[in-house]
Amino acid sequence: MIWNETKECMSRDEIYNLQSARLKKMVKRVYHNVEFYRKKMQALGLEPGDINGLEDLHKLPFTTKQDLRDNYPFGLFAVPQSEIVRVHASSGTTGKATVVGYTRRDIEIWQECVARVLSMAGIGPLDKIQVAYGYGLFTGGLGIHYGAENLGATVIPMSTGNTQKLVTLMQDFGVTAIACTPSYLLHIAETLEEAGQIDNTKLKVAVCGAEPWTENMRKQIEAKLHVKAFDIYGLSEIMGPGVAADCEFHKGLHVYEDHFIPEIIHPDTLKPCKEGEVGELVFTPVTKEALPLFRYRTRDLTSITYDKCECGRTLARISRFKGRSDDMLIIRGVNVFPSQVEAALLEMGETSPHYLMIVDRVNNLDVLEVQVEVEERFFSDEIRQLESLTKKISHVLHTALGISVKVKLVAPRTIERSQGKAKRVIDRRIIE
Amino acid sequence: MMKQLSVFIENEIGSLAGVTNILKENRINLRAIASFDTPEFAILRIVVDQPEKAHKSLKEKGYVVKMSEAVAVELQDQPGALDGMLQVIAASGLGINYIYSIVIRDGKVPLMIINTDHLDKTAAVLKANGYIVAEQEDI
Repeated sequence: MIWNETKECMSRDEIYNLQSARLKKMVKRVYHNVEFYRKKMQALGLEPGDINGLEDLHKLPFTTKQDLRDNYPFGLFAVPQSEIVRVHASSGTTGKATVVGYTRRDIEIWQECVARVLSMAGIGPLDKIQVAYGYGLFTGGLGIHYGAENLGATVIPMSTGNTQKLVTLMQDFGVTAIACTPSYLLHIAETLEEAGQIDNTKLKVAVCGAEPWTENMRKQIEAKLHVKAFDIYGLSEIMGPGVAADCEFHKGLHVYEDHFIPEIIHPDTLKPCKEGEVGELVFTPVTKEALPLFRYRTRDLTSITYDKCECGRTLARISRFKGRSDDMLIIRGVNVFPSQVEAALLEMGETSPHYLMIVDRVNNLDVLEVQVEVEERFFSDEIRQLESLTKKISHVLHTALGISVKVKLVAPRTIERSQGKAKRVIDRRIIE
Repeated sequence: MMKQLSVFIENEIGSLAGVTNILKENRINLRAIASFDTPEFAILRIVVDQPEKAHKSLKEKGYVVKMSEAVAVELQDQPGALDGMLQVIAASGLGINYIYSIVIRDGKVPLMIINTDHLDKTAAVLKANGYIVAEQEDI
């Protein structure tokens, strides 16, 4: 079902006009309320009056994650604190989180977007949905939660961590829908299989996101659990889950363009890509009140099409993600940068700074192994000392990254040194 | 005291041979070898005829090597000999970190290589109880 036909099925001209009008208003609001952007615009010789519509979007400066860090925690907020009703945060490279804020209106729009996604997946008031994303600072849990309530579904706020209980409640409550990461859903499927209960659920829909997954994985989920599986995309800097999602035709993810203007750019030249060409996805969240960012660089690589979809929606569609234009990894839904590992090891100071991250998927769960070279000055000839060093590194990395890490000590000079950019990551997960 | 070398090796095929090959290339004679392994890595402890040279050549090949000392005690070839020695050490309140042996000594009795946190005290206690503690030149 199309939740908001007026907005999801506008003509391209209507979308253009709506985006233009909203962009104009946004630029004025930002110029007068956010010093960071005012200075940037002044440096470029730009005034709010120079932005008269979508055709002027390219004149605005880009925003990066670093800009959010530099203005930690609330420096880019465009409204007084009294109007902020919620903040979320993601882990950061140097321990500093990326903080995002929402006004009441922002939360309403978020609920609307998530309701559109769930409705597109066939979920409605008669459904019982388990939200098995993490609840808390991460946008996944609460984002889907309020959207599902807005839709009128019965929400079961599972969060993550207790698969056994999730499976029990799924059967006891007759759960019909679930929202979680695709790898966690496969893990849930295995738990059900082991209990011989895989065919005894009422599950019919799964909405998965927060990590890259493949078309094959989607089909695998559908076959194993007898469900229809949908892809949901989002990022906290723009809003959270619900920025885009796919419909039953699975021909790309519909972007809610009335709120988020997408662009695809060449990550090196920053020039716009042609329709269909792969580049970096950039968003301008035109209706955002608390944190209105100009041209936020997502670092996600994809392509875009503006053709009308078979489902009737006219919204632009972005293709399955082709990777990242930076070195960020998504492990169990958590954003991890190799630089975090490096910073943690250096700070600890009891190993060599040479490391290799190996990401793999074991039993459908992501695992991270970090290999660290043993160094002469930290080498003890006692096994127990080396084992306690291993445990200590593992603890330090867990604290820094927010996910558990298997540490393996390796002999010196076994980690490949390459000219220029060192190879720090081996990702063995199969991603198309 | 006896000099021993501890070498960090990864628990994988050929890793021991890597070390022994370097020793062979440098004409170093092994007197004792013991490997203490965990699922991921192992510490190889060796006693050789030329510890300094072995240390240098292994380091040059990129190995993490530590030269340290251990107590070497002569062990009589009779039932209960090792037990007697261990009883003496335990009775002195000393804990053994690890123990291994040198068997081939040109007809002489085997040596036990013992590491504790207090090597001098260990040697003294053993001597006081009539054990013969060997030195580097005895092998």
